[in-house]
Amino acid sequence: MNRDLVKHIFLNLFSLILIILLMSVVYKKFFYEKDIQRYSDIINTVRALPNDADIVYIGESSNVTAGGDDRDTRYISQFTGDYFPGLKVCDITKPASHAGIFKVLLENIPESNQMQTLVVTLNLRSFDAEWMYSDLETPLQKSIVLLKPGPPLWKRFLLSFKAYDIKSKQERYEQIKRQWLHDTFHDLPFDFPYRNTIQWDKALRKRGIKGKDGKRDKEATTLACYYVKTYAFQIDTLHHPRIKDFDDIVRLAKKRHWHLIFNLMAENTEKARELVGDKLLFFMNNNARLLEDYYSRKGVIVVNNLNAVEDAQFIDRTWTTEHYAEKGRKTIARNLALALKDLYPGQFKEVKDAHPAFQTHFENNCEKPLGWKGENTFTDEKSSSGMFSSKMGDSETFSITWSYPLREIPRRLKNHFFISFEACMEKVDKDIKLVVESADPECRYWKAYGFYPPPSAPHKWQFYSYRIKIPDQIKNSKRVKIYLYDPHGTPCYIDDLCIDIQ
Amino acid sequence: MLFNTIDFVLFLPVVIFLYFLTPQKYRWVLLLIASYYFYMSWKVEYIFLIVFSTLIDYFSGLKMEKLPDRKSRRPYLILSLVTNLGLLFAFKYYNFATGNLNLLFEEYGIAYRFPISRWLLPVGISFYTFQTLSYSIDVYYGRQKAEKHLGYFALYVSFFPQLVAGPIERFSRLTPQLKSAHHFSYENISKGLRLILYGLFIKMVIADNLSGIIDSVYAAPQNYNSADILKAIIFYSFQIYSDFYGYSLIAIGSALMMGIKLMDNFRTPYLAKNIAEFWQRWHISLSTWFRDYLYYPLGGNRVAITRWMLNIMIVFVVSGIWHGANWTFIIWGGLYGIVYLLEKLTNRYLPVKPDAKAFSPTHLFFAFKTFLFVSLIWIFFRSQSFAQAMDIFHYLFTNIHTHKTHLSIPVSTWIFLSIFILSDILLYDKRFDTWLDRFPYLFRWTVYAIMLFAIVVFAGVENFPFIYFQF
Repeated sequence: MNRDLVKHIFLNLFSLILIILLMSVVYKKFFYEKDIQRYSDIINTVRALPNDADIVYIGESSNVTAGGDDRDTRYISQFTGDYFPGLKVCDITKPASHAGIFKVLLENIPESNQMQTLVVTLNLRSFDAEWMYSDLETPLQKSIVLLKPGPPLWKRFLLSFKAYDIKSKQERYEQIKRQWLHDTFHDLPFDFPYRNTIQWDKALRKRGIKGKDGKRDKEATTLACYYVKTYAFQIDTLHHPRIKDFDDIVRLAKKRHWHLIFNLMAENTEKARELVGDKLLFFMNNNARLLEDYYSRKGVIVVNNLNAVEDAQFIDRTWTTEHYAEKGRKTIARNLALALKDLYPGQFKEVKDAHPAFQTHFENNCEKPLGWKGENTFTDEKSSSGMFSSKMGDSETFSITWSYPLREIPRRLKNHFFISFEACMEKVDKDIKLVVESADPECRYWKAYGFYPPPSAPHKWQFYSYRIKIPDQIKNSKRVKIYLYDPHGTPCYIDDLCIDIQ
Repeated sequence: MLFNTIDFVLFLPVVIFLYFLTPQKYRWVLLLIASYYFYMSWKVEYIFLIVFSTLIDYFSGLKMEKLPDRKSRRPYLILSLVTNLGLLFAFKYYNFATGNLNLLFEEYGIAYRFPISRWLLPVGISFYTFQTLSYSIDVYYGRQKAEKHLGYFALYVSFFPQLVAGPIERFSRLTPQLKSAHHFSYENISKGLRLILYGLFIKMVIADNLSGIIDSVYAAPQNYNSADILKAIIFYSFQIYSDFYGYSLIAIGSALMMGIKLMDNFRTPYLAKNIAEFWQRWHISLSTWFRDYLYYPLGGNRVAITRWMLNIMIVFVVSGIWHGANWTFIIWGGLYGIVYLLEKLTNRYLPVKPDAKAFSPTHLFFAFKTFLFVSLIWIFFRSQSFAQAMDIFHYLFTNIHTHKTHLSIPVSTWIFLSIFILSDILLYDKRFDTWLDRFPYLFRWTVYAIMLFAIVVFAGVENFPFIYFQF
């Protein structure tokens, strides 16, 4: 190589470094935060944590999912907080997530945060092949790329060049099948004819589950097979990637001096026994015990709820989830509270019924999930108060939705709804309505109310209030909903929805 | 391993570094290992298909060369054709064929149903089977000497830059380059990097950002007004162009860095004045393949006019089938055939001839007309079913007065699309790497900086694989 060429190459390298440095500054200043809100808004749940939180509960949908007939739709973490009125119990909830995601979120809690105790959802099902290699893994992994440590431009580069676990649906399915096939059962204390999950599933499908009439019950058979595919595995603490994630959380907690509790969630063991039998229960209990022993040895308090919730409290009837009705959530919360009692003996206060018999005042300022329906419409594009509002438009025709069993409220206390909210439309659309609906099949009702005064100008927040007489026919409804309906999908933002029943 | 992933960003420099470190004699080993590794990164098992196809064609070639005439060579050509087209049928067309037969059985009350295959379509199977077929056919006709070196032949079939989506290279062009000694050339590295940069820019910034917009319209056209649907149709023309052109440029650039020159696959096709010219500018390696191995053997245009018309239709319909196992692709190919014939037949009656000077009003008028036809025909290519294509046409013409508009197009998408269109006009009949040479250093580096920034900061983050990978 001649000298000129070497000089030229060095000049080019210098130019490249200069460009990268410039890009880095520009990106960090003007684009990074926007990208975080666009691709990793999951971080907002961490940012929303108050600095003086005492206990932080991190979990997936099991924390927040409520049953349709629940009188109190609050979260497990909130129920737990009832036992410690003097402490601030906060939550970080990301549906479908797991320890790998929790780990990244927890690393983002600022060092200045004063939290003392961390409760992590330990979900047995998150160790199974279907969850490990679920379709949701790709978007989940994508959502944490920008949250990992490193220079912002580098992280954006990794995001652009798909440097995360990215696979098609078909590839994920192949991964699941491979694991079911290759993870052979071992060291079982009983004779077992099947070598792996696939064989067990196949045999069960062939044999079928008999209904009361002695015939093959198709639905029960499908569900039984589902139970086998979900729970028939044996955790290998040396190699399982999920164990590695939980181990990292243990390390992080030690580094940050947090008390650490793993809250092992309840599974529907009652149904598992009924459909498949004790052998499957052996797998479930054995895995739970193994996790409990493994993490207890590492100094973690493990609350084993595996068998704590009865079948009737499981909301989803046709597949396996950790979604519990009110009583189920309260049971988990109580078990957790009893474990926390050892850490905060002076703060614990026994709760008989941790929530009022009914509520008559509801408000949602769209700033954080409260368990209302339609919270997926939250956006930071516009807001009347705080940072977020609920957006209709695009494919969303409904706003956040208040939903409550009106029959729980004494008759004399439910004559009128007083409803207020702020609305801002991108285009004046007089067809957007406020809707009162009863979804109870025994008292169906649907009525829409226009905006009064009619919306006058686009891009302007306007306050609306309504006094609506509650029709007698819905007073005993199991589920009354109030929401805004946008039939044309005109972009419209709703904020500070407030409902009083008087 | 997609070109726009971190895996390839790491893989390519390592291969190139090792390539120049390895003595020429052993470079084929390095490139073959790299190519097989590249292919296996999709699905390990499918390497057996490529090896199988390679071995059959290698031995067929050797056998054919030893035989004196075409008649005696024919069984080996048939072996090669049956093997390659058989693989293609089994993986690509089986479900389509049996699905249609099952429908027919249902119609006529026949109880039998063909089972459905759940095999994944091996990436790039249509490309490498066509590449290796061209070799067998050339050896059969005596236009090409059979390759004695199995390693070089295997490398010809699997050379990683063009393995999964072309350009479909001929043996006589690629193999001598693979065999000859290439020294490290700063110019090749620089030009290769330029092509890769531009390719990544148009794939990641243009195609990937348009993709989400188009997908939402095609998923529910009833929710969009005519203007939105029209935007989606036009955008798709640019998406597929920037996606495939981007891929081709990265392939050409990657090979060029090793001193290997692959053929150009695109030459500003949307400035073509008619469909015939469009196909001389679009996916050139496939068009010339069909010309040489299907159109000419059918008689080309040295036949009666009706036979010639039939030949044209056959070529376009087969080209449609090559793209995918779906009626929409067959219709897509057929429509090209019809428009091509109509243009040829009506050309003489036109008051203005399309062979005008570049960028004259006549040229622009005919280019616009061709672009419009092509964009409308793309609807069939993009749609997953005939019904979906019909829906797009239906709502394009009936949702005129609705106020529904859900299409939100970021300003950055408009800006980068405009830059792409402008650059395509500037690059008319030129290639980005050489075009840039004429400008001063500062200008060149400003262009690199803009593209680099756009690639890192504005790239679509959803996983949109290259469209042509599915073929």
